[in-house]
Amino acid sequence: MLRRLTTYYAVWYLTAANALQETFVNRWTNLLFMSGKIIRLGMTLLVFFLIKENISSFAGYTPDQMIMFFLTYQFIDTITQVFYRGVYIFSQKIRSGEFDFMLTKPISTLFQALTGRPDFNDALFIIPTTALSIWIALQLDVVMTTSSALWYGALLLNAFLIATALHILIMAVGVITTEIDGAVWIYRDLMQMGRFPVSIYLAPVRWALFFIVPVGMMITIPTEVLVQAPPTYSMALAVLFGISFFLASLRIWNWSLKQYSSASS
Amino acid sequence: MALQKYWVLLKLSWQNGFVYRTNVILWRFRQFLSTLMALTVWQVIFSQQGSAFNYSGAEMTTYIFLAAFLQSFILATALNGLANRIYSGQFSFDLLKPINLYAYLGTEDLADKLKNVGFLVVETIILWFIFRPELSVPGWEIGALFAFWLAGGILLNFLVTLLFGAMGFWSPDVWGPRFLFFIFVEFTAGKLFPLDILPELIQRIILWTPFPFFAFLQSQLFLEKLSSAEVWQYSGMLIFWIVLFALVVSAVWKRGIRNYDAAGQ
Repeated sequence: MLRRLTTYYAVWYLTAANALQETFVNRWTNLLFMSGKIIRLGMTLLVFFLIKENISSFAGYTPDQMIMFFLTYQFIDTITQVFYRGVYIFSQKIRSGEFDFMLTKPISTLFQALTGRPDFNDALFIIPTTALSIWIALQLDVVMTTSSALWYGALLLNAFLIATALHILIMAVGVITTEIDGAVWIYRDLMQMGRFPVSIYLAPVRWALFFIVPVGMMITIPTEVLVQAPPTYSMALAVLFGISFFLASLRIWNWSLKQYSSASS
Repeated sequence: MALQKYWVLLKLSWQNGFVYRTNVILWRFRQFLSTLMALTVWQVIFSQQGSAFNYSGAEMTTYIFLAAFLQSFILATALNGLANRIYSGQFSFDLLKPINLYAYLGTEDLADKLKNVGFLVVETIILWFIFRPELSVPGWEIGALFAFWLAGGILLNFLVTLLFGAMGFWSPDVWGPRFLFFIFVEFTAGKLFPLDILPELIQRIILWTPFPFFAFLQSQLFLEKLSSAEVWQYSGMLIFWIVLFALVVSAVWKRGIRNYDAAGQ
């Protein structure tokens, strides 16, 4: 088992080293991407703080709690991109036939496809932004305890599991249809809706955001637990849902592989 | 005869736009989601208090509704892949056609806008029934000026798109600058929030750039929120930006075409 894990780590390390070199080849483009991300974060924080100054409550949450939802979104969204950026170019591998070679390798195809291209731009971005988020969280008037912080950490792991499941499902769509760009960007847009507590949306949208693309389970519930607001659904349900969703995504992935007919080679 | 040529081209571009129907529908769904999010957030904010940022709840809903409609219309373009078309050499076929190049690209862009309008009408009706914005039609003078500013915004976006496309004459890496442009548009065109909620200094800086002409200023004009002095000032600025970009685009494209080596053809 340990030997197997070492092999997987070695493969990931090699892939990551290649991705890092690629980042340095396109340094100007990456610098522009990084600048864009910094501007977007700065402007979003500015707007959130302006809203905070002008309102007394937001759908039953305090303005400070509202900012915590955004900070949680920012962390989960960035960390998933650090590891799973490879998913964004997966359809290209299907269409070019490169996926056929991945199938023949003595290592999990899912692992190769999912972690095929770590994003060093986001890896660099997440360090200062997480430090900034923690600093902002400490300045805000929100009640956090050690126990709520520990539960928050556990629910963030659950969120990462759900994010992994969603990326697996997107790739399964890619295997079947050879096209995933639309699905990836819909996922990103739905994630963006989680910048605010999901409970604010219309009932059908809210339901979909908890149980179809479970952004609410990933962002709303952990934040509610951290700031000690009554959670929309229980933590146990969130964890149970996360594990079930992940297992279901693995089954769907395996099913999609059986349907694969090699698009081009 | 000359017009018939463009009519045929418009029909062909319209049909091309529907080759990947799922992509079109998913793109429109993404636009719908972001408008839904902005409208919901502001409605929640104003459900707690009568007014904020010098807007009433009804005014803000109407503003976001209008800005989202205008932004979808003004920024819709078929030419996002123009740089790649040029760099890959596929552009040679366009150059060989007995038709004015700018008119050719403009017709492609127009077909894309018309395609988006069809979806936009349906989305607008749905959002109208959910949020019930209070829209009053301005007088004919403002109406005529609004039409001029709308056409100006469309032309400005076309010129900016051509400028980004021209980068393909020299480099395949155009997504960095485009990403940065989209980030600026996201926060300065005014779909998520009106620019006049920002601090005075930031507002002034943004109002000296072309970005507010991608929806914010047209919305303000339609809602009759501008003084006559401001109307004159911004009309002049719109003309200035169009002329400036037209000159830059013309110079850059001349240089680019001279530099073009029809790679791979």
